[in-house]
Amino acid sequence: MTLVIVLIACLAGALLALLFKLGSFERKFSITSLSLFLALAPGWTFIWLLGRAPQVIATGVGGSQLEWSFAWLPSLGLNLSFYLDGLSLLFGLLISGIGVLILVYTGYYFKGDASAWRFLAYLLLFMAAMLGLVLAGDTITLFIFWEATSITSFLLVAYKYKDESARQGAFRALLITGGGGIALLAGLLLVQSIAGSSQWRVILNSGALIRGNDLYPLALALIAFGAFTKSAQAPAHIWLPGAMSAPTPASAFLHSATMVKAGIYLLARFNPALGNTDLWFWMLSLVGMLTMLTGAYLGLKQNDLKALLAYSTISQLGVMVMLIGQDTEIAFKALVVGILAHALYKSALFMVAGIIDHETGTRDLRQLGGIWRAMPATFSIALVGALSMAGLPPLFGFLAKETLLATVTHPSVPIVWDWIFTLAVVTAGALLLAQSGLLVAGAFLGKRPEGLSAHEAPAPMWLAPAVPAVASLLISALPEPASIAGLLASAAASAFGAKVKVSLALWTGLTVPLLLSIVAVSLGSLIFYFRNRVRNRLMSILPDFTFNRAYQGLLSGVDRAAYLVTRTQHGRLRSYLSVMISALGLLLLFLGRIPVVAPFIQAPRLDLSGELAVLRLFSLLLAVAAALATILLHRDLFAILALSASGLSIAMLLILEPAPDVAMVQIIVDLLLVVILVLALTRIPREQRDRARYYTFHQGGLSLARDIILAAGAGIVMTAVTYQALTSRPRQSILTPYYFENALPLTGAKDVVGAIVADFRGFDTMIEISVFAMAGIGVYTLLRYASRKAGDRDERSPAPAGQALKSLGIGGLNTSPFIRSVASAVLPLALVISATHLLLGHMQPGDGFTAGVIASLAVAFWYVIFGYDVTRQRLRWFKSPYLTGAGLLLALLNASVPLLLAQPIFSPLDYGAMLGISLPAGMKLTSALVFELAIAISVVGGVSAILDALGHPKDDDVDAIRHLQEIPPGE
Amino acid sequence: MLMPAEIVLLPVLLPLFGAALNLLMYNMPRLRGYLAFTVMAASLTSSVYLLLEVLHNGFPIVFQLGGWQAPFGITFVADLLSATMVVMSQLIISAGVLYALGSRDQCVRFPAFYTLFLTLATGLTGAFLTGDIFNLFVFAELLVVSGTVLTAISDDKYGVEAAYKYFYISLIASIFLLIASGLLYVAYGTLNMADLSARIAADPNQPLMPVAMVFLLAFFMVKSAIIPFHFWQPDFHTAAPTAVSALLSSVVVKLGVYGFLRMTTLLFVEQAQILRTVLIILGVIGVVFGGLGAIGTFNAKRMLAYSTLAQVGFMLVAIGWGTPLALASAIVYVFNHSLIKAALLMLAGAVASRAPVKSAAFQNVVGVGKSMPYGGALFLLGGLALAGIPPLNGFISKMTLFQSGIDAQAYFSLALIGFASLFTLIYIGRAFQKIWWEPMAPGSEPKPTGDSLLAPSILIGVCLILGVWGEPLLQLASAVASWLGDAQGYIQGVLVSLG
Repeated sequence: MTLVIVLIACLAGALLALLFKLGSFERKFSITSLSLFLALAPGWTFIWLLGRAPQVIATGVGGSQLEWSFAWLPSLGLNLSFYLDGLSLLFGLLISGIGVLILVYTGYYFKGDASAWRFLAYLLLFMAAMLGLVLAGDTITLFIFWEATSITSFLLVAYKYKDESARQGAFRALLITGGGGIALLAGLLLVQSIAGSSQWRVILNSGALIRGNDLYPLALALIAFGAFTKSAQAPAHIWLPGAMSAPTPASAFLHSATMVKAGIYLLARFNPALGNTDLWFWMLSLVGMLTMLTGAYLGLKQNDLKALLAYSTISQLGVMVMLIGQDTEIAFKALVVGILAHALYKSALFMVAGIIDHETGTRDLRQLGGIWRAMPATFSIALVGALSMAGLPPLFGFLAKETLLATVTHPSVPIVWDWIFTLAVVTAGALLLAQSGLLVAGAFLGKRPEGLSAHEAPAPMWLAPAVPAVASLLISALPEPASIAGLLASAAASAFGAKVKVSLALWTGLTVPLLLSIVAVSLGSLIFYFRNRVRNRLMSILPDFTFNRAYQGLLSGVDRAAYLVTRTQHGRLRSYLSVMISALGLLLLFLGRIPVVAPFIQAPRLDLSGELAVLRLFSLLLAVAAALATILLHRDLFAILALSASGLSIAMLLILEPAPDVAMVQIIVDLLLVVILVLALTRIPREQRDRARYYTFHQGGLSLARDIILAAGAGIVMTAVTYQALTSRPRQSILTPYYFENALPLTGAKDVVGAIVADFRGFDTMIEISVFAMAGIGVYTLLRYASRKAGDRDERSPAPAGQALKSLGIGGLNTSPFIRSVASAVLPLALVISATHLLLGHMQPGDGFTAGVIASLAVAFWYVIFGYDVTRQRLRWFKSPYLTGAGLLLALLNASVPLLLAQPIFSPLDYGAMLGISLPAGMKLTSALVFELAIAISVVGGVSAILDALGHPKDDDVDAIRHLQEIPPGE
Repeated sequence: MLMPAEIVLLPVLLPLFGAALNLLMYNMPRLRGYLAFTVMAASLTSSVYLLLEVLHNGFPIVFQLGGWQAPFGITFVADLLSATMVVMSQLIISAGVLYALGSRDQCVRFPAFYTLFLTLATGLTGAFLTGDIFNLFVFAELLVVSGTVLTAISDDKYGVEAAYKYFYISLIASIFLLIASGLLYVAYGTLNMADLSARIAADPNQPLMPVAMVFLLAFFMVKSAIIPFHFWQPDFHTAAPTAVSALLSSVVVKLGVYGFLRMTTLLFVEQAQILRTVLIILGVIGVVFGGLGAIGTFNAKRMLAYSTLAQVGFMLVAIGWGTPLALASAIVYVFNHSLIKAALLMLAGAVASRAPVKSAAFQNVVGVGKSMPYGGALFLLGGLALAGIPPLNGFISKMTLFQSGIDAQAYFSLALIGFASLFTLIYIGRAFQKIWWEPMAPGSEPKPTGDSLLAPSILIGVCLILGVWGEPLLQLASAVASWLGDAQGYIQGVLVSLG
């Protein structure tokens, strides 16, 4: 449990930083005091971890007594667990120890900048994430914190987000480490599925099982990829120099000691489970070597202090990866020594770079020089750090280099490769030495450029880097610090999987490594001495290829592909539809097994006997011809009429079937459709209609051919399918007999269709009238509010000269008195017809829907004949929203009445019988009747909404304008 | 049981009731919104109750409307799958109403806005709950009509065009469904899904069955905007009023996903293998295509719409893998994506409402984030959730998906979608930088106020909770997945229920 408190301390710190902002404490406390206070969190962690050290070191290889686990996602068998062994301890101490220094340093770096609370919050979040990563007791916990470090470092790198370079650097780091994260997750899950557990304890002990699995190479590649991206291995190293746009305290923390080492930690951690194979050796050695050389070479070209440090870090990370690949005892000794040495000198040097930047205003080597007198303390620290980086005695870095050389000259390294590795390490060592010299000489020595002001930083600011610098001097200079050696040995043992002996003695006699070291130092000194010539020559000889270009190329390739993808969304509905239909065709072809052939082999027999057959054939042909005409006729009005003719022919077929109910609905709907379409036509300006027609009828030969093929194909398929459906009916439907038998006894309806619509499947009808109502309300809202708001004018065909528009019907023509009196008579008549439809709906064809449409048609007639104003004046009850709402509400309430009687909702009821009302024969006051009434009302509402919107002649629609004025304008 | 089986109808009828009342309150602008919210809150409560009840019982709650025994009447079935989908939808729709209440859009103040919003809820909920294939058609129609109008009246000037295309394509989809249900009726003589399932299993050699299957598949593909049936989606989800597009791109597109689950586990169990292959192929294409589209587009809302194409692709692949764990991961993915996408769209809309020129186009919203740092934190969290990064719920989805892919040994498709999931990081990262980090054009300032951030805050809060404590959702999803493995349970629950 205590392990978690370590994290909670840092999270609480982050919260505190947020409170500093939210609680406006910046007036009472300075950012420096906040930062110093927050340093208590990692400080406490450091001390706590130190206290556990003896216990961990005593436990030895592969064991940890400090575990804490919580069943996080038991369904997936995942725990959230923490675990402390030598390796985690070493990293934990580095993170918390350097964390304290960084927080002290940050306080002075951002002195007086109250907005830096954000930086502190991110920094502490990062600390928590990093500690969680190294203390994680299982792969998933590790992954969670792994991603958290990517995100928090994204925020830290982009802290100065107003800089373009900061944004780009942060984004690049996020993308590369994020990509690695996805691979890592897959790899970790693979390992988990092979080992059967995500716990380190289990995984580390099932090395043989994992390595023996067929999927081992895949798992290894994925995990290594994740680690390589995080630890900036070539060619994924490119994000690290870009991330230097982070404020220097962040760079000193993330990019020297902590985050970039996460990949190293992961590989070291996995070594007992995944290591010790040829694949492991070659992959890690080669990538590590490549990275080591790349970093060492590119670093020499840099002029920016931080960039130079970044490349030397890359080089060191390469070394570490290479070491893990070796799988010898000495390699792991070299690894832990290297980790500690690098963390110490690199954090010191980064902080020094920050001080220089802070005090002189530049980090560019070309503008720096000769400031050692002005900044003696900083200079001393830099000198110690650089000597350690160069690997010179008596500093800790020397020991790191010696053990590294001892590793690559170890007899286990394959023939030929031992030479190549040795050569590479010596070269890289020489280059790093030259880099160190460049750093110190370029910044502090030589002639001070004109106008470069410099003064020593405040003491706490240089004290922070002084601590690791002094430490790297003391560790090697003091005689055998047993405690540190024990800690390192314990860490190395955890990574190696067996005991590792670590001694920190500098002088081990005249050995091969020492000789090689002398070679490297001499070579490095030469390069340093001729640095200007070497740098110029290097840049001219070797290609200036950087992997940045590859990254840019990849990203612009993605952008190019993305552009092409968005181009497919070109807006032409016609081709959208043709793609859809073709896709459907393909699906049918592969999955559907269309019965194409059968119907055409056994041609249908045309049976024209029977008196109605000719009529059937006639209406069929009429329907087809009229449908064709809708496409071919170029005038909108004619096309509408043809459409109507086609619909009516279908109605005729239905009558002959005989299906009078359906036929009646078909006729009614057909008429309504014509009225609505014709009214709508008057609202569309002629110019627009002409344009639409042009686009409809003028198309290229290819697209015409495509459309014809698609249409013909669709027609053939549907014909075949329909034919099959008609000829292959296996048996009577299950439902039909039931409906025929039960309609009258159970619902009291003679008309089976009526019974289905209002009772058996009444709920369909209920929702369908809602659809109808919403369509009406939609047209109303669209035309009266939305289009008006958008500034569309009600554009009608211009009225004949000299006539007022408002009291006229279609086309502005005057109506005759005869027509007007007919219209007056039609409405009451229609209402009576509607009423009879309603009342007799259960006995005869006809229902609420037809009733509603008939009434509405009569009103539509009024609109046409009398015009909008007169109609509105005389029919005040005709208010669509209320009618629609009332209809729907009535239907719902009616359906709910059975609930009161403890019957299922939507059950049929006979109100007449219940209330004891005697009604004339053939009429029943049932719930179905009320339902039909509700349907009729809401249909009238829906239609009237459409008519109201379409029939409205004027721009100055008083109601709508008043409503719109009440609505505040969209902002 | 405490309540009769009628509670199945509550999440459907309450919003419809609210819609009818809303029409009668034509002249009470303020009350309309509050009524809509109250109704949705009640409806959400009832659906949560329904889900708990189904979980508690272990078998579906079945209600035969009007007391007509299945397959003669219409049956409503709340099994674990549909109840889960309903809770998810109602949660998002309630948040949508909340967003609309705090929105500065003009269209939310039109008298019929909330009516249409509520009928949209009815349509979607009904489509999840109905056990009848023709009734599904009717609900889908209600959904289409409401969605079309809501987008057509949007403040966005392309609303009408987008709505028109959506309506046209949806009409064709409706025809597909009509053909499918007609053919199934011809072949098997019934419309009840449980009955159909039993009869298809008993007689799989009906010549029309595969044709019907393809038409049904195509219908659901249009509904979920599966490539190449997706063309309506980017325009439609971009142009819709933000409160509406948050629903469309999160829960409404899940109708098709729900349909695929039903098709592969209930209706066409024996033919599921080939369906799954199709789903995997289209899913992988969708993940790549949608991800690229989101990178390539120039509008924040449109980016999120494209992202939905990709995210639905992940779900399809999981359904295609078809193992119990994969189905569970699909459910988790469906649920989490709804929360994330709705929140992100609301945030994009809130940003647009503060832009100098109201639009979500990147050129207009660059730097607008500086007036809403809190919104930036929300967007970052939502973006991380979308990219599947802990500690947000998206991570649980991604991890479960990967795990199920490894278990199903589907390494190739897993590798493809794993690679393409990197696209999410690209487009979300870029969008975040553009809106919150890049400086505004000189001389322009964001508006001081805009759409309220309450609704997205709640949703992101839920995302965070489900990310930190994902076990309840995982358990629910596993329960759903194992229930889906038992088609007989569904059939018996419907046909032998006591009604």
